[in-house]
Amino acid sequence: MLKLQGNAISLDVKFNKRALFIVTKRAGLPSTIKAKYAFLLDSYLNYEEGYGAYISFDKVQGSGISNHFHLPIEMNYLADGDVISIEPSGRINSLFRKNSAHNTILLTEQCNHYCLMCSQPPKNIDDSWLLDEAMALLELIPRETVNIGFSGGEPTLYGDRFLGLINKSKLMLPRTSIDVLSNGRAFSDLFFTANYAATNHPDCVIGIPIYSDDPARHDYVVQAEGAFDETIQGILNLKKYRQKVEIRIVIHKQTIERLVQTCEFIARNLLFVDHVALMGLEMMGFTRANLDQLWIDPFEYKNILSEAVGVLSSYGINTSVYNHQLCVINDDVLPYYKKSISDWKNEYVDQCNLCVKKSECGGFFSSSKLHRYSDHIKAVI
Amino acid sequence: MEVTITFDANVYSSDAIKKAAYRSINKFAINIVNDGSNIKCSLTFKATTTESQIKSYVDEFKKEVLDQDLRESIKKETEGIRNLILAHTFSKTGLIKDE
Amino acid sequence: MSNFQTIEFYKNKKKEYSLLPFRFECLGENNYVVTNLAGEHLIITRDALENLVRHKLNSSSADYVNLRAKHFLTDDKTQIAKELLSIKLRTKYSVLSEFTGLHIFVVSLRCEHSCPYCQVSRQSDDKVKFDMSTEVADRSIDLALRSPSKNIKIEFQGGEPLLNFQLIKYIVLASKTRGGDKNISFVIATNLALINEEILIFCKEHKILISTSLDGPKEIHNTNRPRPKGNSYEKAVEGIQLAREYLGIDSVSALMTTTQNSLGHVKEIIDEYLKYSFLGIFLRPLSPYGFALKTKTYAAYNADVWHEFYMEGLEYIIDLNRKGIKFREYYTSTILTKMFTSQEVGYVDLMSPSGIGIAAVVYNYDGSVYASDESRMLAEMGDNSFELGNVLINSYEDIFLNPKLLDPIEESFAFSVPMCNECAFEAYCGADPVFHHGVFKDFIGRKPDSEFCKRNMKIFKYLIKRMEHDPYVKKLFMSWAQPNA
Repeated sequence: MLKLQGNAISLDVKFNKRALFIVTKRAGLPSTIKAKYAFLLDSYLNYEEGYGAYISFDKVQGSGISNHFHLPIEMNYLADGDVISIEPSGRINSLFRKNSAHNTILLTEQCNHYCLMCSQPPKNIDDSWLLDEAMALLELIPRETVNIGFSGGEPTLYGDRFLGLINKSKLMLPRTSIDVLSNGRAFSDLFFTANYAATNHPDCVIGIPIYSDDPARHDYVVQAEGAFDETIQGILNLKKYRQKVEIRIVIHKQTIERLVQTCEFIARNLLFVDHVALMGLEMMGFTRANLDQLWIDPFEYKNILSEAVGVLSSYGINTSVYNHQLCVINDDVLPYYKKSISDWKNEYVDQCNLCVKKSECGGFFSSSKLHRYSDHIKAVI
Repeated sequence: MEVTITFDANVYSSDAIKKAAYRSINKFAINIVNDGSNIKCSLTFKATTTESQIKSYVDEFKKEVLDQDLRESIKKETEGIRNLILAHTFSKTGLIKDE
Repeated sequence: MSNFQTIEFYKNKKKEYSLLPFRFECLGENNYVVTNLAGEHLIITRDALENLVRHKLNSSSADYVNLRAKHFLTDDKTQIAKELLSIKLRTKYSVLSEFTGLHIFVVSLRCEHSCPYCQVSRQSDDKVKFDMSTEVADRSIDLALRSPSKNIKIEFQGGEPLLNFQLIKYIVLASKTRGGDKNISFVIATNLALINEEILIFCKEHKILISTSLDGPKEIHNTNRPRPKGNSYEKAVEGIQLAREYLGIDSVSALMTTTQNSLGHVKEIIDEYLKYSFLGIFLRPLSPYGFALKTKTYAAYNADVWHEFYMEGLEYIIDLNRKGIKFREYYTSTILTKMFTSQEVGYVDLMSPSGIGIAAVVYNYDGSVYASDESRMLAEMGDNSFELGNVLINSYEDIFLNPKLLDPIEESFAFSVPMCNECAFEAYCGADPVFHHGVFKDFIGRKPDSEFCKRNMKIFKYLIKRMEHDPYVKKLFMSWAQPNA
C-alpha cells in the first residue's frame, strides 16, 4: 500500500498556506512557470533557484535552501508529473500520480449517508477548501490524462459548486473522462439534473450505489430514511437527460441475501444504466466496527454472485466484478472480473506466492490483508 | 313449443339479452318483457325441434347472455385505457385528424 | 456502534399497505402466480394471496418484501413504484406508434408444390392471372413506405415467390430508391426448389434474407410437402446449403409446419434442424384455415395433442442446452420476452391490440390488401372479413381507417374482453381476432371454448412452473427472452 500522505521535515519555509506543486526532475524550466513546480533534488543537491519548492528523500541536514522539504522515504514513488500539496507545517499529500490509472480526488468528507461499510467516514466540518483545491488541481493535471475520479463524502452536497467543478473539468481537461461517486439523491431534483446535463461534459459517469431492491434494506445499509426512493428518482432523472449512470453494489452480509433480486430489479426497471459494478468489501472505515453484521466469506457466496452476474449478463447489461480474488469466484464470473484494486491499495498474502494466476488477480486490499479476508485463499498451481 | 326464461334485471342488461337472442334467431323466436326487476324471455321453437335440441339451445342462450353482458360492461369500464393505447398506436400515421 | 440504527428502524412505520393493480391464476398445489401491471410475476401460496388481498400480509414476511419490490403493493416506505410501473408500461406500448413494420408482398400465387395444409397457391402456368403486376407492385410500395415506421421489412411470399423473381428484383430496387431514410430489409419466403446463382447474387448484393420450409427429416417433409418428383426435402436442403454459400449462415432461416404426420416425431424434427446448423426452431401449431380445414387435418388434433408435441420438443431443447448445444424454441422465446422484459417482439398473433394492419399487412398479387397473412387465408375460404381494399383503388386512409380493420382491433382488445380482462397472463398473450373469426365467426369468441386460449394458458403455466425450481432453466429462459439475442 502506498503512503499517500506524509510529514516532511523543513527548516526554512517561505509560504504561509497550503499550495499545490507539480513534481519535476527537470532543471532549467522557464521562469514564467518554475514556481508551479516542486523540484526533486538528488543526493548531490543539484539545486537551481526559482522553483516553488524543493523535495528530497535522503536524510539531509540543514541544506540552507528555502522551501526545501525532506519527505519520508516511503514517498519516494513520487515522479515527474505527479501533483502534491505541501502545507507550511510540512504535511505532504500526493493528489495526483501520472503513472496511475486510479486517480481519485476527494472533494469533501461531509455526507448525508452513513453507510455501515463506509470507507471514508463522514465528518461534519466545513472542508470546502478541498473543493477549492480540486479546482486548482484541474489546472495542473496533464491534459492527456485518461480518467480521474471525484469522490467524498457526498460531492453533490456542494450543489452549484459541484456543477462548477464538472464544468471546469470539461474546460481544463476536455479529453479526460470523469467518474463521480455519489448517492444520486441530489439528482432527484429535476432542475439540478437539468443544470448538470447542461454542463454537457463529453464523458462523465455518475456511480450510484443501490444495495437492495428492498427499500428498507437499502435505507438500512446507507443509514438514511427515504434514500432508496430519492436515489432511484435521481437515476431516472439523469437518464431523462441521457446522462451516464453506473450502479454500484458492495457485497456483504447485508446485501448478499437479495443480490439476485436486486440485479433482477435493475434489469427490469433500470435496464438503461451504462454499467453495473459488483464490489467486494473493503476493511476500512466503518467496516471494521460493523464487521459482525457485514462479514461473509466470499467463497460462501460465490454461487449467488454467479447467479447475479448471470442475470445482468442475460439482459446485456455491462457488468464488472471488482475487489475479489480469483480463487474465491466461479469460472462463469471470469469474463466480468476486473483486476481492480487501486494500485496504491493492493497486496497479496502468503498463499499467493506459488499461484500461477497471481498476475491476473487483483489481490487484496491492504486493509483486508491486515484485518479479514477469505479463509479459502488457495494458489492455483 | 314455448320456453320461458327469467333474467334478473339487476344482473343482466336487456341489450345483452337482445344481442344474445339475435345470435340464435335461426333457432327460436323470442319475446322480451322487462318489468323493472325481471326480464322475461319467451322462446318459441319450430315444431321440428327436438327436446334435446331445445335444452341445448336454451343452455347456449343463457351462456350467450352472460357473454354479451360481460362484453358490454367490461368494454365500457376499459374504454379510457383502450382509447389511449389505440390513439397512441395511430399517433404517427397522420390519419388522426385533430378536432 | 451506537450511531447505527438497526434494520427495524428503516422498515415501514404504518402497518397498512395499498394494493397496486395485479391479477392472479392458480398453478395447482396451493400455488398461485400473481402478475403486476408490467407483466412481472411472482409465485405465492393461496394463504399469502388471501392475506395480501385482505390487507393482512405481515410486513416482515419474505412475501411482503418480494411483493413490494416487484410493485404489487406500496406502503409509506416507498412511493417510487408508480413511476417505475408507468415507465415499464410506456416502454411496452411505445413501439406501437411505429405502426406497420412488416409488409408482405404476394408476388405470385403459382406454386409447383401441393402441400395439403397450404391455404393459398395454384398449380398453374397462368402468369397473367396469378402473378402480381408492376402496377400493383408500385402502388403497394407507395403504401408500404407511407408507414411511419423507420424500419420496414418487406417479405416476399406466394405461392412460390421465386416464380416471379423479376418482380422481386423490381420491388427491391424501387423501394430502395424511393425509401428515403427508411431502413428497409428484405426476406424471401421460398421452398428453395428454384434457387440458383443469379438469384443468390442479387440477394447477396441487396442483403436479402431467405426463409424456407423444413418440416423435418425427409420422410416427414416430403409427405407434408408433395411436389412433382417428390423431392421437396432434397431440393430444400440443397437450396439451404447453396444459399448459405452466397449469403452466409445467418441469412437463411427455416420454419416448420406441424401436421398429423409430425406428431410423435418432434425430436427427429429438431435433430434435423441441428443437422443443418439452425440455431432454433419455431414449433408452430396448425392454423385452422384453408385446405387444412377442408381436408380435416385440423380436426385431426386439438390443443392437448399439440401441447404434448410442444412440451416434448421444449424439454428436448432444454436438454440439448444442458449439453452445451445452443438452440432455442422461438414461440417460447417470444413469450419469455413478454415475461421478462418490457420489449415487444412484434409477433402478430401474440399482440394486444392485435397486430393485424398495425404491425403487418399483406399486398396480394391482385392488389387486394389484407390485414394479415391469416386474413388472406380466410379469404381463400370465402371469408373476406379482413380484406381492407385494393391498392389500385383505395388510398392509405381508406385502407387503414377501414372499419373492417378498426372494428376487430378495437373489439378484440384483450383488456376489454371477458376473461382476458382479468387474466393473469394477458400481458403475455394476444388478441388474434382472425383466428377467432375463422373458428367462431366472432372477433372475440368465448375464451373457454378457444383453442388459442387453452394452448397459450397451458404454455404460460408450464413455463412459469418449469423455471421456479430449476435455476438452470430460469437462466436459460432469461437469455432466450432478450429480443436482440
